Amino acid sequence: MRLSPLIPTVLRNLAKKPATNLFPKVEPVPVPENFRGRLIYDVDKCVGCRMCVTVCPAGVFVYLPEVRKVTLWTGRCVFCSQCVDVCPTNALKMSDEFLLASYDKYDEKFIWFKEEEIEELKKKLEEQKKAKEAAKKAENK
Amino acid sequence: MDEAHTVIEAPKEPTKEEKVVEAIKSRFPNVEAEIRENKLGRKRIWVRVSREDYKPLMAFLMELDPQAHYSIGIEQDFGDSLGFMSHLTLFYEDDPAVSLLVEVKVPKDDPTLPDISDIFPIALQFEREVMEMVGLDFEGAPDKRRLFLPEDFPEGIYPLRLDEKGISEEMVKNAGHPYLLRRGGGKP
Repeated sequence: MRLSPLIPTVLRNLAKKPATNLFPKVEPVPVPENFRGRLIYDVDKCVGCRMCVTVCPAGVFVYLPEVRKVTLWTGRCVFCSQCVDVCPTNALKMSDEFLLASYDKYDEKFIWFKEEEIEELKKKLEEQKKAKEAAKKAENK
Repeated sequence: MDEAHTVIEAPKEPTKEEKVVEAIKSRFPNVEAEIRENKLGRKRIWVRVSREDYKPLMAFLMELDPQAHYSIGIEQDFGDSLGFMSHLTLFYEDDPAVSLLVEVKVPKDDPTLPDISDIFPIALQFEREVMEMVGLDFEGAPDKRRLFLPEDFPEGIYPLRLDEKGISEEMVKNAGHPYLLRRGGGKP
């Protein structure tokens, strides 16, 4: 019977250190530059141009015409970064976060610009509108 | 200078594409064949053929180059007619090979084509796909079973059709966005 040609390599490797990353005990392997991690959305910068809605291949964005913003559910995100490239105001960007496991697909961390925030902004906008009208009336008088 | 140019260009050899087009046109006078060049300089022969000439043309191409390679068959819905396009590669011993596309259009009220799997055996796979996806029937195909669609898919519905025989609104499912789900109904 012939001996396996792998035996010398195996014996040599037995004397070496293991080349593994013991993840939960140590830091994970560092991410490279321009890593595409969790999507981050800046509501204040958003102007509601709907470019991200057009370009997204995964249906992450829903446009809200009343407030002229978008709401995001990154549970579906495929990390293609096209929305980041197309956004004219840099309201969207990719972070370095990649440990995104969750028990709930509608988890807080997957949803940007939540219902309460939308309602808040709506109220704020209405107040602004009223204030403007009041100012106009005052001017006319 | 000008004269020298004409002297050099006069004995210009016809390219492989031109030879193939010439051969097709001399055998089938009713067939439209033209050479198109894309922006990268790749030449392709586009052949538009009638249903009657389709099978003889395929047999002739096999005769022209017994090593001819059938790459892919593509089905398409043009509204009032169904199209079937075959992409073949001929004379590929020396680079670049001749790339040839054969297009047939058939009316929707009589969607039949002759089967060519006795000439190119692999064509049968594409024909099976065409039969289930747009309902274009290949007469005399030895195997007419479905290829990709599941067993429980309804009969008489062809997914790639753009008319009423295609998939209906109710068959399209969307897992839904949480914002829209919370306002009842996943559809925007």
